[in-house]
Amino acid sequence: MSTENAFQISVPDDSLSLLRQKLALVSLPDELEDAGWEYGVPLADIRRLVDRWANGYDWRHHEALLNAELPQFTRDIPVDGHGTLNIHYIHKKSDTKTAIPLLFVHGWPGSFFEARKLVPLLTQNSEHHPSFHVVAISLPGYGFSKAPSKKRFDMDQYAEVCNKLMLALGYDEYVTQGGDWGFLITRKIAHLYGPRHSKAWHTNFPGGQPPSLFTQPLDFLSMLINGLTAKEKEGLQRVQHFIATGCGYSAEQGTKPQTLGYSLADSPVGLLAWIYEKLVAWTDQYPWKDDEVLTWVSIYWFSRAGPAAAGRIYFEVGEGEPAKQMARFSAHESTSIPLGISRFPGEIVCFPKSWSKNLGKIVFDREHDGGGHFAAYEKPEALSGDLRDMFGQGGPAFGVVKGRNGYD
Amino acid sequence: MSVESPFIISIPQESLSLLQQKLRLASFPDELDDAGWDYGAPLTDIRRLVARWSNGYDWRYHEAQLNTELPQFTRDIDVGGHGALNVHYVHKKSDAEYAIPLLFVHGWPGSFFEARKLLPLLTRGSPDHPSFHVVAISLPGFGFSEAPRKKGFNLDQYAEVCNKLMLSLGYNEYVTQGGDWGFIITRRMAHLYGPKYVKAWHTNFPGGTPPSLLGQPLSFLTMLFHFLFPSFNPQMQAGFDKTQKFMQSGSGYNAIQSTKPQTLGYSMADSPVGLLAWIYEKLVVCADGYAWDDDEVLTWISIYWFSRAGPTAAARIYYEVGGGNTQKLGELMGTPEYTASIPHGISRFPGEVAILPKSWAKSNRKVVFDREHERGGHFAAYERPVEVCGDLREMFGRGGPAFGVVKGRDGYNS
Repeated sequence: MSTENAFQISVPDDSLSLLRQKLALVSLPDELEDAGWEYGVPLADIRRLVDRWANGYDWRHHEALLNAELPQFTRDIPVDGHGTLNIHYIHKKSDTKTAIPLLFVHGWPGSFFEARKLVPLLTQNSEHHPSFHVVAISLPGYGFSKAPSKKRFDMDQYAEVCNKLMLALGYDEYVTQGGDWGFLITRKIAHLYGPRHSKAWHTNFPGGQPPSLFTQPLDFLSMLINGLTAKEKEGLQRVQHFIATGCGYSAEQGTKPQTLGYSLADSPVGLLAWIYEKLVAWTDQYPWKDDEVLTWVSIYWFSRAGPAAAGRIYFEVGEGEPAKQMARFSAHESTSIPLGISRFPGEIVCFPKSWSKNLGKIVFDREHDGGGHFAAYEKPEALSGDLRDMFGQGGPAFGVVKGRNGYD
Repeated sequence: MSVESPFIISIPQESLSLLQQKLRLASFPDELDDAGWDYGAPLTDIRRLVARWSNGYDWRYHEAQLNTELPQFTRDIDVGGHGALNVHYVHKKSDAEYAIPLLFVHGWPGSFFEARKLLPLLTRGSPDHPSFHVVAISLPGFGFSEAPRKKGFNLDQYAEVCNKLMLSLGYNEYVTQGGDWGFIITRRMAHLYGPKYVKAWHTNFPGGTPPSLLGQPLSFLTMLFHFLFPSFNPQMQAGFDKTQKFMQSGSGYNAIQSTKPQTLGYSMADSPVGLLAWIYEKLVVCADGYAWDDDEVLTWISIYWFSRAGPTAAARIYYEVGGGNTQKLGELMGTPEYTASIPHGISRFPGEVAILPKSWAKSNRKVVFDREHERGGHFAAYERPVEVCGDLREMFGRGGPAFGVVKGRDGYNS
């Protein structure tokens, strides 16, 4: 029986000092005239962020805020074939005793931090909407969880850790919310542990496949006859653009995460640029504040396993081949539990709605006008609104968890 | 008229100091059990190299050796639309009176340093074989050349710099040798400047275009036959497999450098450890069992670390020539636009990263020399200088298929 330990983020002084020393020696590259964002993150942005990180940004202040807002714990979780991993997580309970247990699963370059704004909204109790007990895990290799030490820690293993965590917390039945890797992991959880433990899943990053004559004949024919709507075309063009110009990080992480890892572990500015590029490219005009970015990136810099470990998920899932990674994203996994989808226009992969039909038993599907890839962080009200509608009284997944319908 | 200045590599003491300070603060990642080379460069290798770099490796010693062995110069070269770039190059003349002017063009992660062993061999005069005046350019953004300042420094611009350099040295007619980007650039030079200036070109990175039914019917049918019966030609199959493996699991660096070289560049500029790993991985994986000496690796990489434009600039060639996306680079291995009739020579090394059927290089080039070797990889001039030199001597020597291509300079004394 795994025991839980209360956890406070408390980065050692040595680490803060080393960061300061590295920042003091920072060497910045040149930049082409009028480069803008074409070649990657602009020099002016990085200069400004590095200056702030070195002078003025107060990690201890933000560390204290995180500790105050987010009740954190660690516990050992055994994973078949991988020994025991010490896992870090947020666990915030609602005052409503029969709140719905919900597991939030982040992706890359996310972390438990992405759930920060969602947690108070989801745990808030009211007679007008359901509330949730929220668990936001730090995936192995991220945040303050240990990383796997053996090769081939794949989707099954991530799903296993997540499920065991919820069971260890006494949540024999629960629901999940995930985007990015969180989509693939929560789908795996639904596949392996639903409906016995996972009772419903919600995602803001729906994968899917084009309809084929065999899987969705009507949609297939409709696509042939009517083509795609202007909006769908635009979505697919964005996917095309992303694949052609925005997937280098995934190709490198998916093939040589160790080689890349030396840079990310040794250079805070290198890590900053690597992540910041996505924070800007993947959000929908989110007005990032410098300190916000620095806290997000500092969590990677100060992470328990170090910044190199997080990228390995790309390698393992694709078995060292990026094409296989993409195939896994699109491949079908059978699930029988209710699925909810929230679509945000700034998402990097926006497939036509008909492509998601085979994802699972879709009971909820809502489109939004704004917001991007980090939906829980950019649009916490919209996302929690969707979860409340999906799981609330009169909603399509009301009462899925026995004895915990989210109300008093 | 551009003016030449002799050049001595002389890295400021501050730069050496800063490197040492950074190495002292080096932070290493963890590594999975038994990772070997599966996930990238192994931790023990990198730790060992960093320890040596920081304690024991003597840059000044190697700097002095380079300066002694390689006569270097710089001169301003004007590039249309990009102003004047100060270009660094090695220029070693042969003792043979009528030596053939040869331009050696490196690639990534190469540099002028790759020509180091080839130089004494090619420039040696003898009645028994031709010799060459060798020019090894540092491409803009590499070595001690300035980098372009504006966007759009594309293939034509690299070719222009190279051609103008040779002309400014008084070599109105010359031949070229190149691999990696050097292949792509010298092929462009053959197209743009041959046969007026470029009289012949040789490569160790042949590439090639798949044959088409109308263009090369026999080759096309052979290819079809092979796809239907792959076991019929296991060697060709092995070549395809290797190429495919490289494209699938060895080209991440290519994907990021062709799309976000600036983002990657922050790491490369700030972390010597990061730069070391990034390049070292290729030195080992792309060479054919070459027994790298630690100091050799560190000198190779120090050239990047101490480069004039900094380590970030070099990778931009992938973005500029690749069009800023990952689709185009594969095409460049083929022959997008090539209408030159000048003689072409190929040396094939088994450790090369992409092995395509021999006939594919012949589709639209006038191949007059094509030799396969038993050993050697991507950095052929560095790994197998004797073989590369031997091939060039045979191609350009008396009785050879490209003998006398350069007017009045056949490579001999008489």
